[in-house]
Amino acid sequence: MIQVEGLTKLYGEFTAVNDLSFSIQPGEVVGLVGPNGAGKTTTLRCLAGIIPPTRGTVRVGGHDIVRDAIAAKKQLAFFTDEPRLFDYLTVWQHLNFVARIYQVADYEKIGATLLDELELANKKDALPGELSRGMKQKLAIACGLLHSPSVIYFDEPLTGLDPYGIRRMKDSILKRARDGAAIIISSHLLHLVEEICTRLLILKNGQKIADGTLLEITRKFSEQTGDASLEEIFFRATGEPGAPLAPPVLPLAPK
Amino acid sequence: MIAALFYLQYHSTRNRLVSRFKRLKQPKYLFGAIVGGIYFYFYFFRYVFRGYTGGARQAIIPAASPEFMVLMESLAALALLVIVLLAWLIPHERAALTFTEAEVAFLFPAPVSRRNLIHFKLVRSQLRILFSALLLTLFSHRFGGNGWIHALGWWLILSTLSLHFLGSSFARTLLLDRGVSNRLRRLLVFVLAASVGAVVWLWAKKTLPPMTSADTADFTSFMNYAQQLLNAGPALYLLYPFHLLARPFFAPDAGTFLAALAPALLIFLLHYFWVVFSDVAFEEASVEASQKLATRIAAVRAGNWQAAGKKQKARRAWFKLAPTGPAATALLWKNLIGVGQIFSARLWIILVVVVAVVFTGFGGSAHAQNISIVAAIIIAILLGYSLLIGPQLLRLDFRQDLPRADVLKTFPLHGWQIALGEILAPVTVLAGFQWLLLLVGLSLTVYMPGKHETLMLAIGISAAVLLPALDFLMLLIPNAAVLLFPSWIQSGKDSPRGIEATGQRLIFAVGQLLVLLVALVPAALAFAAVYFPLKFAFGPVTPMPFASLAAAVIVAVEAGLGVRLLGRLFERFDVTEEPAS
Repeated sequence: MIQVEGLTKLYGEFTAVNDLSFSIQPGEVVGLVGPNGAGKTTTLRCLAGIIPPTRGTVRVGGHDIVRDAIAAKKQLAFFTDEPRLFDYLTVWQHLNFVARIYQVADYEKIGATLLDELELANKKDALPGELSRGMKQKLAIACGLLHSPSVIYFDEPLTGLDPYGIRRMKDSILKRARDGAAIIISSHLLHLVEEICTRLLILKNGQKIADGTLLEITRKFSEQTGDASLEEIFFRATGEPGAPLAPPVLPLAPK
Repeated sequence: MIAALFYLQYHSTRNRLVSRFKRLKQPKYLFGAIVGGIYFYFYFFRYVFRGYTGGARQAIIPAASPEFMVLMESLAALALLVIVLLAWLIPHERAALTFTEAEVAFLFPAPVSRRNLIHFKLVRSQLRILFSALLLTLFSHRFGGNGWIHALGWWLILSTLSLHFLGSSFARTLLLDRGVSNRLRRLLVFVLAASVGAVVWLWAKKTLPPMTSADTADFTSFMNYAQQLLNAGPALYLLYPFHLLARPFFAPDAGTFLAALAPALLIFLLHYFWVVFSDVAFEEASVEASQKLATRIAAVRAGNWQAAGKKQKARRAWFKLAPTGPAATALLWKNLIGVGQIFSARLWIILVVVVAVVFTGFGGSAHAQNISIVAAIIIAILLGYSLLIGPQLLRLDFRQDLPRADVLKTFPLHGWQIALGEILAPVTVLAGFQWLLLLVGLSLTVYMPGKHETLMLAIGISAAVLLPALDFLMLLIPNAAVLLFPSWIQSGKDSPRGIEATGQRLIFAVGQLLVLLVALVPAALAFAAVYFPLKFAFGPVTPMPFASLAAAVIVAVEAGLGVRLLGRLFERFDVTEEPAS
């Protein structure tokens, strides 16, 4: 469903993403992890066609995201960490607008169902300014799912959600995967990645340093230390050579 | 404690200035600064430096007579009275000192007294006042007078007004705490103002000769009458404190200025003590105000300058959007809802009603002919301005949506579709406004002398055909500029400030004019190609609309090519480069 070959993104002299290749099948949930500045958001933006790659190709559902952008974009949805809404459109007007953009003829039925599921039905005429952070996130999700995308990217999907919202979001992601969507989740929340991702892609300085199932990666990075948690693996994988397993903890008060 | 507040203010200002200077290393800011500097020199500073020494003193207007200066002082006192009255009439909020969220977070929980917070606010407001005084001096100095006297005069007036606004907000809060509602306060102030106005009017009616047509015949006669009204009787006493405040500004020399300074300073000091010794709780309202300020700044930085102005209301769409059809229509639909925040249907209805009432009102008037000519001239000027300034003001296109370019880029649309959709809304509004003006203008021909109805109709139709295409063209240019040079073009109210920003705007204004002139050449040729052959057959008037249609087609073709180009620019636009605001 998603094929990435030699993806490279340069900003002047700086290499944000370097020669990244991977592919994702329908139903897979891939966790994209790495420290700050690893190139996760840049990768997602290239994959969504928001920024053009400097080199390499990205194919979504068999369509090149640069050469055949329209066909590729019709199949995907991208959820950013901060919901990006139009301040002067109401909840329902957002759905109406997105329906026309994606040509969703039966949007009224789908939209009503989505709003019910996301508990936004009583906020149809509200502007984003009248919604809480979590509700805005839900509206962005409703807009993104209106055209039933087969490829979904999430950038820090749990930011600002309450425990109920987090649980629903996790369920929603898994449901979409079960329905055959290929999903990429970029997150610093390793427990989220551990819980719902079927595969892991670890980036550091724009380069792929690990790609595989959680088990494969655990085996790769815990040869010397035996079993390790994902957090420990993360520090091992992304730390400097010879660095301790985890960074030192700063004391809060003198002993 | 106050030293820490001064430290905060000093370093904030210093760091802001240093960062402004540092950015001059970038050519775009440096060029902007040079052009802006040249503009400010020729518009303001040359009147300060040139010809004011060595006996070659020469202001734009000749030196005013002492009587004229006395009248100006009276008018200034009257203006100050009105401003002060409005400060007691209009505001309704409780007293709130405007702090940023960071200041609230650091200062409010800190052991800083309320009085020190007020001092901090006063010191900070001085920066704004000093800058305003400088700008106003540069402007007023063009009309003559001593620059230092003007600067100090402006500073005194602005500082005292600022203190008065603060003091009145404290008094308003105290009144609210004592159960005097805003409505009651306004009623009391209004009744007081109306009573005083009635006293002045009665005195004028009894004492002064009735106003005749001779008094309004020319400016001097009118001013003489105003002089008599303002400088005698109750008005003189009413305006006296305001005279004292305005007098230093109008002083012709240093001696007179120093003599006028003492009473003005006394008024200033009285205001200062009033504010500093008011024991009013402003903290809660200030926290709320700081949050509103932060929301406003966030909205502006997100490119949504409408949200920065006031609380938004949900608006109805201008038309029903079907889920299928040309996708660009969705962007038009969306932006028209945004336009609705400014140009509501109610506003259009009011405009039409006002126009209709004015027409029926002056239709029977003996001055209908003269008024219609003046109105026609005003409409022509407004049309010209709408074409030149309208595209700058109506920014509901890429200039507003650029901060959301990443969202637009995920849409399965070609670049040209997005470009077309973005530009259609301002074109629609602008053309609607222009057509309304044209309609009014054409209706005026009924009252005009001579039989020019056919000519005016031909001109009106020609303009109606041409203007939308020209609007489109004019809107393409700033939209292309914002995609090509996102950091050069302001994308909201939170625009870059300073000399360099002014210079950047000037560069783009000139560029826009040049592009327009070049684009108009083929359209002018098309106009001539149709007009002159038809002129021989049908006379000079009838071919006008047809020739204009030919020109509009050429402009529309150019605009179409422009949309294609704009679409490509958007497709290549890298959202990770320097943001627009």
